Amino acid sequence: MSKFIATSAIRGAQSAVAEADELLQDALQKLGPDAPIAFKDKAGGGTTFYLPVIYGLLGHKVGKLGDLVPVVEHAKSLLPPVPSEDLWLPYLGETLDAGAATLFAFETIEGVRFAKGEQPEKRNGFEYNGPISDVQARSWGIQLVDGRMPGFAAIVGAAKSNEVAVKIVRELQSRGQLIFLCSDSSGRSMVDQLQEEGVDMGYDTYIVPFGSDTTSAIYALGFATIAALSFGGVAAGDFRRILLYNKFRCFAFVLALGPVDDRKYAAAAGAINYGFPVFADTVIPNILPTGITQFEHVVSMPFDDIPGKDDLERAERLVQRCVELRGIKIKIAKVPIPGAYGPAFEGEVVRRADLAAEFGGKGGMCFEWLRMNEMDDVEDGKIEVVGPDIDSFEEGSKVPLGIVVDVSGRKMQKDFEPVLERQMHHMLNGAEGFSHQGQRDITWIRIHKNAIAKGFTLRHIGDILHTCMHNDFGAIVDKVQVTLHSDPEKVKELMEQARVVYKERNARMSGLTDEAVDTFYSCTLCQSFAPNHVCVINPERVGLCGAYSWLDCRASFEINPNGPNQPVPKGTIIDESMGEFEGVNKFVYDHSNKNVERFTLYSLMDSPMTTCGCCECVMAIIPEANGVMIVSRDDYGMTPSGMTFTTLMATVGGGLQTPGMMGHGKTYIASKKFISVEGGIKRLVWLSKNLKEELAEELQEACEREGVPDLMDKIADGSTVTTVEELPTFLEEKGHPALTMDPII
Amino acid sequence: MPEVEIPIEKWTGAVKEVKLGGGGRKEVVVGGETTLPFLTFEGSIPNPPKVAIEVYDKEPSGWPSPLLSAWGDAVKDPGTWAKKAVEFGADIICLKLLSAHPEGGDTGAAEAKAVVDKVLSAVDIPLIVIGPGVAEKDNEVLTAASEAARGQRVALGNCEEKNYRTIAAVCISDGHVAIAKTPLDINLCKQLNIMLSDIGVPLDSTIMDPDTGALGYGIEYGYSINERLRLAGLGGDAMTTLPIINHAGSEVWRQKEAKTGEGVPATWGDHEERSVVWEAVTASTVINAGCDIVVMCHPKAVERIKATIDKLMGK
Repeated sequence: MSKFIATSAIRGAQSAVAEADELLQDALQKLGPDAPIAFKDKAGGGTTFYLPVIYGLLGHKVGKLGDLVPVVEHAKSLLPPVPSEDLWLPYLGETLDAGAATLFAFETIEGVRFAKGEQPEKRNGFEYNGPISDVQARSWGIQLVDGRMPGFAAIVGAAKSNEVAVKIVRELQSRGQLIFLCSDSSGRSMVDQLQEEGVDMGYDTYIVPFGSDTTSAIYALGFATIAALSFGGVAAGDFRRILLYNKFRCFAFVLALGPVDDRKYAAAAGAINYGFPVFADTVIPNILPTGITQFEHVVSMPFDDIPGKDDLERAERLVQRCVELRGIKIKIAKVPIPGAYGPAFEGEVVRRADLAAEFGGKGGMCFEWLRMNEMDDVEDGKIEVVGPDIDSFEEGSKVPLGIVVDVSGRKMQKDFEPVLERQMHHMLNGAEGFSHQGQRDITWIRIHKNAIAKGFTLRHIGDILHTCMHNDFGAIVDKVQVTLHSDPEKVKELMEQARVVYKERNARMSGLTDEAVDTFYSCTLCQSFAPNHVCVINPERVGLCGAYSWLDCRASFEINPNGPNQPVPKGTIIDESMGEFEGVNKFVYDHSNKNVERFTLYSLMDSPMTTCGCCECVMAIIPEANGVMIVSRDDYGMTPSGMTFTTLMATVGGGLQTPGMMGHGKTYIASKKFISVEGGIKRLVWLSKNLKEELAEELQEACEREGVPDLMDKIADGSTVTTVEELPTFLEEKGHPALTMDPII
Repeated sequence: MPEVEIPIEKWTGAVKEVKLGGGGRKEVVVGGETTLPFLTFEGSIPNPPKVAIEVYDKEPSGWPSPLLSAWGDAVKDPGTWAKKAVEFGADIICLKLLSAHPEGGDTGAAEAKAVVDKVLSAVDIPLIVIGPGVAEKDNEVLTAASEAARGQRVALGNCEEKNYRTIAAVCISDGHVAIAKTPLDINLCKQLNIMLSDIGVPLDSTIMDPDTGALGYGIEYGYSINERLRLAGLGGDAMTTLPIINHAGSEVWRQKEAKTGEGVPATWGDHEERSVVWEAVTASTVINAGCDIVVMCHPKAVERIKATIDKLMGK
């Protein structure tokens, strides 16, 4: 906590409380204690919440002057002494108390003014709004709760110029932020500036001029208090919940333009109590550690130091930064591209004859690379095309392309890079006349002539990614910047860099073992049709549908904490080699309608995982061969078990635990944890031919790792063996290791 | 005969009690059961299932003849309709704001407020108000309905996964009950309950509509989802212990067995009797699986269901 701020705020609070006391005593003498007080806006719209801050935080109803006496006494009791010159303390508690005292003093001052008929204020022929009426508070409160309106910006003081004032207001409006105006700096206020520029102010334009005094800032907190009382279901007097409600639900902040005096520091301290941070466009000390507010408490952004080619750009950045610091997420309703966008276009194929341009594919060069960066190094919404654009390509030509997406976010993690990157496929395919295949450096993109005719250019790839990243992953991504490279040299250079990163990611994935983590994740997505089935997904075993890895689940949980992927703490290890954990057993029992009591992660024979019905493969024991067979979903042929995939799946599906049979994902076969209890890959005696081909590389690696480099040649498939009678003969001929292993049953 | 001991299940959870009405209006409490439906020997069922009758905000078009002849001219006016529903034994009125649908009249807040006012003043039993099912319109008309009914604790729906915040906000603000609707999926149902509770709707102010199908049109899904919710809730999962509402009537009356009187095999029997039975069987199925409020259409089906409930409760 800055001692400077603490000192100024406490001084400001003392003067505010003294002024309130004086005003009140004077009014009591002149008007008597029974003089009524009722907040009303300029149109006469009132409130049933008395003086809302006092009512909300203290549960005290003020209806007449006399009711304010205990309020001022309470404010006095909160006032801490001004820090001494030579004693340095943390000050946070004192400053917040001073802030609270200031709020009570401010509301008292405005209350007295109402009693005296001086409010809402009129100055130079301009009628200020005064406090917000209940009717308006309800309409805005609903928008706050349903997310149409993130919160409000309470602007104190005046902007550098009229031009800047208008720009700031427009930028805030474009983000749906309400704007409250109060106070001046050196005699000038934003209200004056907007008036001079002919900007309409009022409820309709979401710009509310409260008053010319800093004390009128209390109306902003009054609104915040009413929102918590009405929509948070909080009772008057429950100050803790009112403050927390606003911290987490009302994305408001204070923007102090121009010099900050003691009284403004005091008001700022009051706002921080509500979790509303304070940003200033002048040099003031920062209070960066988070705590009372969600992120930083006080941030100074000297206007002229903000990067930008002119004041307007600086104003835009200032608002952008405020929004970021308060943690406001933007939602973009429509993907801003020419032509249609939607799931209907996902399966679209662009044929050679219709081709405008092609990136990647055979002999081409195209990659996509999403990387996490520092907050300050990413400029949200910036989309840049480096190199020639679509209009300069020959029709149907193959052009190199590098898509680099830089993201940052307070909740972003390096591990989420591949998770988000893989979603680019799905995002880009939504565009009409656009087809996307592959990923990383085997990306293959085709664009239809019709899309180009409608005006599609390379930058729209950036627009799609920027919009979808925010809309789909707003919970972890705060800023997205996209650069599209089409200069062959540059693409080549960046692709090499990206390849290094892909390699690092692969290494990270293979280093990500079950032992290295203390939490697995669940997936209960399929309980709609398999009520008793729970997937437990660990780093070394992908979900049985093949769609969810442990990392995907972790990201999914960050994005939707109430969703189908919940953390499953391993808890006490019951048997590490079986993969049996107390935490897993408990989770599965609780979430399988108490049907499955034990669950091992690495065994086929002892309490294996259940299957919903979405599995990529089914594994089944073949006792005659002392091993197991695996058939994939794409294999329609007969297997040595005497059943096809469909029949096997019907047997294991539906959440039943069936020792000796199990559904699983394709890549599990190459995992170190592949039925390790039964002996691992050496037990594999029959495998669908298409899987052998598809996973050739991974399987070969796994065989070598297990010390059986020639195993793949010894495993039968549908082209060599389709009955159980043929199988032992085949295996004996090949000298399959399963035949000499311990009996599997 | 040897003595047979009836096995008694010991449940740890109980369904939340949710109160509708008040503020001068009759109160109806639903939920509160500590056992599966009608197993009175095992736990307590303080509030037997209630019957709500559907009333629309406009005269229905293309309604099947058995419904039209049962209600007569009453359907021309929501107030008269609601009064007649009370005569036919409704515990609750379920007012559907169909005319707010963009393709059904596209009426707005003012019309919604007017019709809610009208029905509220016509009858003294609690009200459920259901929007047209289009997010934007739901938010508009239910906000108006909420304001009109402030202090009389109505139920407003439907909150859905993609659109629940506005409805939830007005429920909190005006002290109403939110109806959380999900498509036959226990996890989505639970998730929506959690989301509503997260934004501040108290659990005793939420009712869940896990959806159902009519007899012959997926009623087994409806039965199963109710049953699973009850088993989970009674088993101790607090987020599934809310009362259940099922729109059995409207599900039945959009199927051909209820709608069609002509050009069907003679073995289908009398049109009215067949459709009434269809609705009654659908309704009795869902209440046997855990439904607390069954929303119905035909007065004769209502009569049978009320008799069934009484019998099952041992009255």
